[in-house]
Amino acid sequence: MNEQPSDLAPDQMPEPEEMEYDPVFLHARREAIVIFCTWLVALIWAVPYCYMHGYNVADPSQIKTVFGIPSWLFWGIAVPWIVANLFTTWFCFGFMKDAELVDCPDEAMESPLEQVESK
Amino acid sequence: MNSMPSLLAASASNAALWTFLIYMLAVFSLAVLSNKLMKGKNFLSEYFLGSRGLGVWAFALTFAATSASGGSFTGFPSKIYTHGWVLGLWIGSYIVVPICAMGLLGKRINQVARLSSSITVPDILRDRFRSAAFGLIAVALIVFFMSFNLVAQFKAGSLILKTLVLDVGVFQDASTAVNGWIEGIGFLEGVDAGYLICLMTFGIAVIIYTTYGGFHAVVWTDVMQGIVMVIGVLIMLPLALMLVSKEAPEGTGGLEYATRQMIEMVPPEEGTLTLHSTGVVTENLAIRQGDWLTLPGESPRLFRVTGESNIPAGSSSASGVSVLEIMTPGDIDRVLGHEDTVIRSDLQVDLESLEMTAYVFGGEEDRNGNGQLDEGEDRNKNGKLDHPQKGMYVTGPGPDKREINGFLPLSLAVSFFFMWAISGSGQPSSMVRLMAFKDTITLRRSIFTVALYYSMIYFPLVIIFCCARILLPGMENESDRIMPAMAIFLTENIGLGWLAGLLVAAPFAAVMSTVDSFLLMISSALVRDIYQRNINPDVQEKTVKTLSYIFTILVGLGAMAGAVNPPQFLQDIIVYTGSGLAAAFLAPMVFALYWPRSNASGCISGMLVGFAAHLSMYFSGIFVNGSFFQPYRLLDFDPIIVGLFTSFAATFVATLLTAPPPRDLVQKYFCKPRTES
Repeated sequence: MNEQPSDLAPDQMPEPEEMEYDPVFLHARREAIVIFCTWLVALIWAVPYCYMHGYNVADPSQIKTVFGIPSWLFWGIAVPWIVANLFTTWFCFGFMKDAELVDCPDEAMESPLEQVESK
Repeated sequence: MNSMPSLLAASASNAALWTFLIYMLAVFSLAVLSNKLMKGKNFLSEYFLGSRGLGVWAFALTFAATSASGGSFTGFPSKIYTHGWVLGLWIGSYIVVPICAMGLLGKRINQVARLSSSITVPDILRDRFRSAAFGLIAVALIVFFMSFNLVAQFKAGSLILKTLVLDVGVFQDASTAVNGWIEGIGFLEGVDAGYLICLMTFGIAVIIYTTYGGFHAVVWTDVMQGIVMVIGVLIMLPLALMLVSKEAPEGTGGLEYATRQMIEMVPPEEGTLTLHSTGVVTENLAIRQGDWLTLPGESPRLFRVTGESNIPAGSSSASGVSVLEIMTPGDIDRVLGHEDTVIRSDLQVDLESLEMTAYVFGGEEDRNGNGQLDEGEDRNKNGKLDHPQKGMYVTGPGPDKREINGFLPLSLAVSFFFMWAISGSGQPSSMVRLMAFKDTITLRRSIFTVALYYSMIYFPLVIIFCCARILLPGMENESDRIMPAMAIFLTENIGLGWLAGLLVAAPFAAVMSTVDSFLLMISSALVRDIYQRNINPDVQEKTVKTLSYIFTILVGLGAMAGAVNPPQFLQDIIVYTGSGLAAAFLAPMVFALYWPRSNASGCISGMLVGFAAHLSMYFSGIFVNGSFFQPYRLLDFDPIIVGLFTSFAATFVATLLTAPPPRDLVQKYFCKPRTES
């Protein structure tokens, strides 16, 4: 197993220039930023669109429908839902990076009994 | 037309009972299998985290089912029925919930949990910052919030079970017997015997399978429950559309017809009236919830009884009978024209006694169409002409009985976009699941699976229960039971009453999958985070195992005892605890995972400030609105926005004001040795 930095004594700690950011962290952070922006875009589209077209309607009897759904909801939520699913598909299979998630050879995942014995 | 008591016909109820029994048998079998799986593995890691080995289906469906909770199948349909199409916007952020709730933290939290060998959420915070105090604060908050939530969920599960077996003979006999036993027992005084039986059955079943099977039992039952939920919705959708289209004129689609009918709908009014008997009353004359009453005339008025009452023998009238008046002419025609509708001809409505109240938003009627309040139009006495009544159910913000700004004003629409997508990421129960997936391929495929899964559940639910407004009018006062009512109505109309059992099992499954996860989270906090990590680190595995079983049973029994006399505000407690957990946990976790400069002082500050800010909005509600559960809304936003904003700000500022973290910690969680290229 790889030795983790914090398993080393202070005088054995590698100098900062010997280390680099873990690509798993960098990829995860980049993906988190993209996800947050996606949420923001969804918010900026869905709520104002629905508010402008579906609230304070002067004559509700004139309200338009698409496939039986009020059009403000169809274009404000139903269509974005499909778009969001397409985006999610691309995000999962075309953007997200795979990474090796390594277990630390630490005490907690072993049985406490084994810990005592190994000590 | 249909009334709930008669809806639960014996055949459907027996089918429901059989479904329930088969379902429970499957749950227990899964628990036994899980227990066998634990043999030969590290107990704690397997019992509380499934040894981080969840594959796509298990991970995706346990995540989806735990998040869905009972609210998706009881509270949500009830809201759609009560407020109409605007619920599509209320739930709108679910378009990005899977990618947010799983992708925002998923990969990193799993990596950090592995690096620190963490089994629980407090474990991660404690090890990431090497701070035992942080771990204990996190444990305290989890136990505080989840205990309240567990009591509320136990109540929800018991109520759903009661709906399921209400008309089963064995259950009715048992209720009568139990009623006799509990009489005179102080603690159980006034408790409904039927509810008590359901609570015991539900509670003991969940406690046994969770305790015996641990995390894997919870996950596997979640998978089964998740499948039951989606099948339920996918069966109900075409049935609802088919039945509505039967009423539609030729050439008009079912959903189009439903929406056109909803445009014409007017919110009902609630109030009381006096009823006179048309004959001599020689023995107690029962007036049952769901009974229909009319005031005949050119435009007949239609009422539905909403509370049990009676005319005693020797008397001729009953006053103060609670009723709901149907205000939509189309609904009145539909109910009166239906062959199954039974109008109480032995009771006469006293016109003079009517005291009705309209909805505060959407209940006004601009009868003269002049946009002003004329005499007789201010029926809710708020001095404001809110809107013409028609069209409320197909536009925002939706009609509301109490809120003067309607059900979903703009500020709340924004708040709910935060609530589901962002605060959903901050739930410790979701975080635990993110620690349990096997590899990143599993994560990617699961996000995709959950996205499809939610698409198949949430928007179809909006469609189904908009159709319910046409198929089952007059259920506003018992809208919490609209899901089972629709399930039975739909299946009986196609002659497949037995199918109702499967459909009604869906909300029950949803509550169960939430309760078992919360139960395990609290017991893991007590055994792992408090006992093993603070009191006795060298504890033997056998002791850990015994303690885990004992604590899971004790926590379950405690929640069950709390639910015997549960707090009144069920849904409010669930909302308070869910948003409170997010306000306390999201910011510290985001900074812990993504900001190398973050330190214990900053993240603890963020956690406490988020918790306090959110709580203070609820406390302010006592003084401003007269109730803890009607929180003060700063700038009209939900307390979750205030909690999250202050928590993120406090974490950031406090971190910068305090010393940077030790170099070794940063290197352990953010770096790796440089590779020569």
